[in-house]
Amino acid sequence: MRTIIQALSLLLFSTLFVLATYKLPDWLPADIYLRLDPLLGLNAVFAAREIIGRALYALVTIGGTLVIGRFFCAYVCPLGASIDFLDFLFFWKKKRPGLKSDASLRKIKFYLLITFISAAVVGLSLAFLMDPMSLLTRFYTFFIYPLAITLINLILDLLRPLFQALGWVNLSHLHYFQSVYYMTAITLLVFGGIIFLNRLVPRFWCRYLCPLGAFLSLISPLGLLKRRVNEDCNECLKCQKACPMGAVAEDPKETHLPECIQCRTCAKVCSQNAITFPTSFSLGGEYSKVDFSRRGFVYSLAGGLAVGFVATQTPFTLRQSKHQLIRAPGAIPETEFLRTCIRCGECMKSCLTNTLQPCLWESGFSGLWTPKMDPRLAPCDQNCNVCGKVCPTQAIRSLSLEEKTHAKVGTAVLRKEMCLVWAQNKLCLICDEICPYNAIVFRPVEGYRRPVVVASKCNGCGFCEQRCPVKGESAIVVMPEGEIRLKDGSYIKEAKKLELEFKPDPGDDKFIIEESGFKVEEKKEKSTLPTEKPQPKKPKGFL
Amino acid sequence: MNKLNHTITRRKFLKTAAAGVALGLVGSPSFSVAKEEYDLAVISGEPVAATRKALEAMGGISHFVKKGQQVVLKPNMSFSRTPEFSATTHPLVVATVAQACIEAGAQQVLVLDHTLHRAELCLERAGIRDACKNIPGVHVLTLQERKFFREIKIPQGKVLERVEVMKDLLDNPVLINIPVAKSHSATGVSLGMKGLMGLIWDRESFHSQYNINQAIADLGTVIKPQLTILDATRALVSGGPGGPGEVKKPNLIIAGIDPVAVDSYGVSIVPWYGQNFKGRQVEHLLIAHQKGLGKIDIDQLKIFKEKV
Repeated sequence: MRTIIQALSLLLFSTLFVLATYKLPDWLPADIYLRLDPLLGLNAVFAAREIIGRALYALVTIGGTLVIGRFFCAYVCPLGASIDFLDFLFFWKKKRPGLKSDASLRKIKFYLLITFISAAVVGLSLAFLMDPMSLLTRFYTFFIYPLAITLINLILDLLRPLFQALGWVNLSHLHYFQSVYYMTAITLLVFGGIIFLNRLVPRFWCRYLCPLGAFLSLISPLGLLKRRVNEDCNECLKCQKACPMGAVAEDPKETHLPECIQCRTCAKVCSQNAITFPTSFSLGGEYSKVDFSRRGFVYSLAGGLAVGFVATQTPFTLRQSKHQLIRAPGAIPETEFLRTCIRCGECMKSCLTNTLQPCLWESGFSGLWTPKMDPRLAPCDQNCNVCGKVCPTQAIRSLSLEEKTHAKVGTAVLRKEMCLVWAQNKLCLICDEICPYNAIVFRPVEGYRRPVVVASKCNGCGFCEQRCPVKGESAIVVMPEGEIRLKDGSYIKEAKKLELEFKPDPGDDKFIIEESGFKVEEKKEKSTLPTEKPQPKKPKGFL
Repeated sequence: MNKLNHTITRRKFLKTAAAGVALGLVGSPSFSVAKEEYDLAVISGEPVAATRKALEAMGGISHFVKKGQQVVLKPNMSFSRTPEFSATTHPLVVATVAQACIEAGAQQVLVLDHTLHRAELCLERAGIRDACKNIPGVHVLTLQERKFFREIKIPQGKVLERVEVMKDLLDNPVLINIPVAKSHSATGVSLGMKGLMGLIWDRESFHSQYNINQAIADLGTVIKPQLTILDATRALVSGGPGGPGEVKKPNLIIAGIDPVAVDSYGVSIVPWYGQNFKGRQVEHLLIAHQKGLGKIDIDQLKIFKEKV
């Protein structure tokens, strides 16, 4: 029963993950698991110092735990499900060494929780490092998803001759876009580590490390359903051995309530059928105590504050207003963004073009795994606004397409010394051809027609940077100059105020031809490269 | 300027004359246009009716598509723009041609393009997939992976010696090119000849490595559509090829076997960037003509004109 619910939950999580992509319907909260996570909610609310609408969903989890107990870990948590499943796959029937220092290890998760919360209080978002929802979404985004695409394409390639023979046209032309990410290896190492720890004890992560588990276990003794052992117990200790959380006390009739996740494994293995989970209002006395030392509490509190201080002591903090990163359209101002973003990677998964990539150190420790745009890799498409839709803390605001178009992320800057037209007189116009906003125009300069960026029309989408045929670095790059970052309010209004216009309009190609004062020059020096002769009053391509 | 005016007058005269002849012909219903060999059919009217008429005027689709054949249609759906931007071929024109191919007994019709914008968005926005979805045997696909292309040699290529083209073209299917009429910031106009670039893998080298006009003509020596149907129901006369730009509504469908002739006529129908041009003034068309790929002087063409 529990396994089925757990599997269904993992399936739901995975399905929502798959659906989190372009054309996500407005009504579908693909980020619901992340919203339900109270640790992420607390972290973002404390760090950002304001109530975040979507984080209120976490009250459901808190409420549920208050009523039932720590059921979340056993039934809902998709990381818990992954751990159980992979545990079965890798370590089933393996003899595990067990750990002597079980009791003190258990405290780690509480210390971590305190550290994360206190770091959040001083404005450093840190919980993402170990929050299970964030961690698993990240693992799915950076590892499972690209891997799945690779495998599917591999299978399609293998079966392609068959599809062709059968005349299945669509299948024989099917290929899925392969997303790639910078931090796949690191993410895999972290997740692999979590699974490997199971070799020592089952659910090592959940028992000792998970800060969300720690939070839930703080309130779970208030829950109504509690393990009870009746007189039939023959003290065979089977339940104690079977409990994946080690929640059965020395005396098998007693339960460490904060650790019990209500999985009922104990009831299943009990040969006497002596274990039930009735409703009970008792608080469980000494067994519901969360035991961590006062010293540990103080240390972790100080640790959190210290980490919060140290992590922000980077030059990046001072440069936040002058940072070099291109953030997603709709990203709130940088300081608030770093505090609010929970690094789940959902935006990067959902990104239609794969331009959103995780940061490593570009914005200091405080910016690990935050999303940045990599326009050389891919542009931001003007018809897609899915990153904001799936952001569980709204560090990237959910915007209508019209609003998103006006959420300027930067401005393209032409590097003349690298540009094929400016530097080599070649007939290149790819940036102009691809620009969705007609922000690149050809202007006559010394008898030649040269591409120029009209800054007030460029919203930084990066099509030009991506398509620029210059090898290596692009000759046209998007810089954060001119980005609009609003915590609230309308981007359209702001853009109007700044006299920016990203509307499709006829552009000023016409202006160039009719009013430009082309100098008529005789042949310039001949070059072996295909060069363009100055063509007075003729658009390109016409003789 | 004077000369240009003169040209227009002469052309206008010819146009009128041709139209008159055409009207006269249509006047007698027993007359079958299929028997008459026209270089071009220029039909004015709504997309579906005009396209049908144009096919009929070129001798009917069965003249080009035989029972059991594979057909590749190449519309322009390279940009994630809705049809009113005129950066992509009108969906109804494509659907009409696809339908006709199926009716003529084509085994299957592949509507193919290698898009510049993200493929899903192009398919969704351009409307061609939607327009064709209820026609059995028609598949609207974008090929964005190199594995769907294969290299071929271009024996007559001047700058382009080899090119990777869609594998689906290599089994000698019937190729019908259905470009949209639009301006292009490197090649002046982007009509049928330029549209063939959507069938190859490496479009970017045309811009960065080669003289694009010569490369287009070189490509034209190996990719030869059996029929070109230029969708000039709308024309993006500036801001091309991607738009946004000024959209005019010539309401014309221009069909022909000769790719240069179709394009050359297409150049003449509207002013581009506010100026009138002739096909000879478009570099890639002139090169293609000089390579022997087709006729460029439209006053020497036999044109069937009609309004539907």
